[in-house]
Amino acid sequence: MEEKVLEILEEHCEEALDYDGDSMMEDGIIDSFAVIQVVSDLEEVFDIEIDAKYVIEENFCNKEAIIELVRKLLEE
Amino acid sequence: MQHTAFEKIIVIGYGKITGDILEYIINRQKEYGFSVAFIEHEVHPFGVTEKICRENGVPFTRIEEKQKLAAYLCAESEKTLIVSASNNFLFPKELVEKENITIINFHNALLPGYPGRNAPSWVIFAGEKESGITWHYVTAGIDAGNIIIQKRCEIGADTKAFELAGKLMELAFEAFAECFDDVVREQARTKVQHFDTGRRMYRSYEVPADGFFELTEEPAYIYRLLRSMDYGKNGIFPPAQTEIRGKRAEILRYRKTAGEAALLAERTKREEERGNEIAEKEAGSVENAVSVSENENTEGFVYLPLAENRVLKIKYRML
Repeated sequence: MEEKVLEILEEHCEEALDYDGDSMMEDGIIDSFAVIQVVSDLEEVFDIEIDAKYVIEENFCNKEAIIELVRKLLEE
Repeated sequence: MQHTAFEKIIVIGYGKITGDILEYIINRQKEYGFSVAFIEHEVHPFGVTEKICRENGVPFTRIEEKQKLAAYLCAESEKTLIVSASNNFLFPKELVEKENITIINFHNALLPGYPGRNAPSWVIFAGEKESGITWHYVTAGIDAGNIIIQKRCEIGADTKAFELAGKLMELAFEAFAECFDDVVREQARTKVQHFDTGRRMYRSYEVPADGFFELTEEPAYIYRLLRSMDYGKNGIFPPAQTEIRGKRAEILRYRKTAGEAALLAERTKREEERGNEIAEKEAGSVENAVSVSENENTEGFVYLPLAENRVLKIKYRML
């Protein structure tokens, strides 16, 4: 699962792969348009629905947070 | 020091372009000597402007209530340029007509076409091949003031509303940087807008095709409608709806995929993975649609043929 998430991130926001901070948005690594692309691909690849309530900075602050979000949604 | 009569520049808006423009103005501040302030009227889930203000010592004010914002701006006594970038607040006539206030606004379409809200959606829905941006002076009429600068871009066959909106924001920033000096020196050469009679104004509550399609409609039309409504999870529009077996269903997501071979592979994969019943081709009830039903009571997929051996894959949820 992690590998697929990283592949999606690589496609839309390559810088996120090497980022080790905790605020990709504030640090200019990812923007809201890239988030939309990432969410769309995550939904398609994992056949999950990511509700708008999950599309918040906290869940997209770094790659680990995104992986954790997907893990949580897959377990639901 | 370069000359400008403006003593102050107030930036108002939300999102990426607002942050880019705010930073640009801050970087030019020393050359002209004006002061800079920022107003957040609509909170953005991924807003960056507060941080930019904090780091640069720029006053950040959040005013969500329209009347309070109008009163706040009307109380401004300095000669002020208001830069409205990705902002949905309609400036009241009394503010627009104040002598010490000049307002410029970025509109995400080529005015005089597509004035009002959600222009990228209407442009895609109309099947336009080209769109663009307009910076214009603000008057009492909506998106009606003189044009300062415009830039154009192509719309691809698969462009979604949020992608076009993103592209337009890049163009808007480019254009802003190009016309900034002329605007602050009050030397911009403008163009008057000429309106056709019956010019349509797009309102915030309007949705392309009222957000509904029949599965019997042309797949290319359905794809265009879905793309025009697609702002990801931003909730600008409610999910599109259709009717499946006489009942309403909302669209969860859609995707243009490779053609028949991929479709068959997908069907086989789902059959093997989930062991669910794969519905027969529903040529009788839904003409030209290939429907794969995973669970008739909740969610499922519809596949519609597009040109060039492509398939429009739509995931729905029964309401």
